[in-house]
Amino acid sequence: MKIEGFDHGSRGLGVRNYQLILPSVVCSTHISRRIANAVNAVTFSHQHGCGIIGADVAGIGDFFASLADHPNVSSVLIISLGCETIQGQELAEKLVAKNVSTKYQIIQDSGGVEATVTAGTASARSLQDSYPAKRIQLKDFRVGIDAPSNSAIIRDLIGALRALNIQTDLVSGKSPADSFSHLMEKKVHLILSFPTGDQPASGFPLIPVINIASESALHQAISADFDLPAETTVVNIVKLIFEVANGQETIAETNKSGEILAPRLVRST
Amino acid sequence: MNNSPLKAYLRPNGSWGLRNHILVLPLHSALSSSARAIEEASQGAVAITHDWSGEIDADLERIVSTLAGFASNPNNFATIFVTLDSPNERRIIERAKLLGLSNFVHLSLADVGSMHKLVDVGTREADQLIARALLQDRIPAPWSAIVLGLECGGSDALSGITANPALGVASDMLVDLGATSILAETTEILGAEHLLAARAITPEVGVEIVNTVLRYESSINYEGIDLRGAQPSRGNIEGGLSTLEEKSLGAAKKAGNALFTGVLEYAEVPAVPGLFFMDTPGHDIEQLTGFAAGHVNIVVFTSGRGTPTGSATMPVIKVATNTPMATSLKDLIDLNAGTIADGVESLSEVGNRIFNEIVAVANGKETKAERGGHHEFSLSRLYN
Repeated sequence: MKIEGFDHGSRGLGVRNYQLILPSVVCSTHISRRIANAVNAVTFSHQHGCGIIGADVAGIGDFFASLADHPNVSSVLIISLGCETIQGQELAEKLVAKNVSTKYQIIQDSGGVEATVTAGTASARSLQDSYPAKRIQLKDFRVGIDAPSNSAIIRDLIGALRALNIQTDLVSGKSPADSFSHLMEKKVHLILSFPTGDQPASGFPLIPVINIASESALHQAISADFDLPAETTVVNIVKLIFEVANGQETIAETNKSGEILAPRLVRST
Repeated sequence: MNNSPLKAYLRPNGSWGLRNHILVLPLHSALSSSARAIEEASQGAVAITHDWSGEIDADLERIVSTLAGFASNPNNFATIFVTLDSPNERRIIERAKLLGLSNFVHLSLADVGSMHKLVDVGTREADQLIARALLQDRIPAPWSAIVLGLECGGSDALSGITANPALGVASDMLVDLGATSILAETTEILGAEHLLAARAITPEVGVEIVNTVLRYESSINYEGIDLRGAQPSRGNIEGGLSTLEEKSLGAAKKAGNALFTGVLEYAEVPAVPGLFFMDTPGHDIEQLTGFAAGHVNIVVFTSGRGTPTGSATMPVIKVATNTPMATSLKDLIDLNAGTIADGVESLSEVGNRIFNEIVAVANGKETKAERGGHHEFSLSRLYN
């Protein structure tokens, strides 16, 4: 079973080829989305980047850097307001160390909203043009598992993946979105999510997520949102992992569901 | 009606809307992308997105009041709740009803059957509500229909000299006519609280203002962190502000010289007209969210550096503190108060211009933030 990955240089091979439009602050999230929609890139809304103190300043900067450093990401365009705590230019310097294909655009220096959208769209396109997708066989495949506990099926699954030389990371976060952010930082290429019975199926914009249902009433009512039913087998899961890694869309990808949640340690001021 | 020139939308509970929005409100972060998809597919509904995934912790009550208040803002003709139908989500809807929301649709993911269907059904519901909203006319409204939020962000050395005191002139005129005006940002009155307390309508209200600041300061000290890492922000310092106290003295000028009628908790709805202080963070978007949840229906936002941000419910009028920024960032600034520093206009002339713009926008004139479709949202948390 082979996986054809995208060559992303020093960051390794990805199973997707996403460009990230990264708002450095909540104030630039809407402009980032307009640019992302224009160039078919990925972005996300968040409420961070300003009015933060203490460990959060470095923490959010590190989180943004790990997004830029993810193997599924081709290039990054930072959209900055200009006067925020996490400054666009400094963030760009931090991110370039991880991903050389990083540029930034500052709203307050660009002449307003429309001028930023125009310049940012051109910049995102030039990054895409300078980074053509090249496929190479993926060797170091890493799968993340979001599951509430280390149950029998999870143990069997981890055993089966290890036998195929696939590395695994298991995280049990406060919610699937919380787990996904932690798994992103571990640079997993693909995520298997076993949400608890009260949480819906969901996705993560940079990483394909395969959702596996439980027997809960909620999951049974929304079975169409899950890639696999509760009674699925390890063999079916492994088969789907390879199909998705080779480009098949997950249901969360088709629905474009799920957000990137940036973890926060302290609070806003 | 004091010869009020206002025309607004009367809500069933007697409150007034200056806009007639259909709001799509997800009550779980995993439904944010569905809410946004409904906004994009509909004929003009507005959606917000947030990062609460149903966590039950010390911030729960603050989140419940915020989302319930936001849903019931009188600028919403109707609200579409998109939920997992959990007990806390149902509590948010019940709270919104207590706050006056009567026109709403509750779409539960389990009832609808899938995320894909949720977008289809939500879009159909939104378009039906939009058609109904078009049938409602603005009618003559009293001055008390205006609940004004006073905000500043990306302040510079001119904020306390031009835009903020000019906004204070407009705020005083409105309060005098019987409207409501709310100052906020506890972080940004630190060092000026004694001046505000001296303007309290009763000694008790004065004590409350001082205690709100003390409560905030001690909670931050408890974190063991120096607030001055965030305040004044790096952008403020580049803009010429030296200290937090200097920033505070300038920020407080937005509230003019009227007496303070009372102090509001974050997201609390004022019960009577007058000038209030609301306990919010200085974070622009968390403050805007607190205003909307407290049923503010129009905001004036002064800025030295310039910002595109707006709100899903409230029109936000941007006032520049300086002419160079107003000139370079035309498509995000509504009014220029830099003319005061240029020696072209007086404080009261600019104050009158802001007052007239508030009236025009209240009556339906589109702001730059509305034209650009900007409606950022942030949940304010104290503990997590």
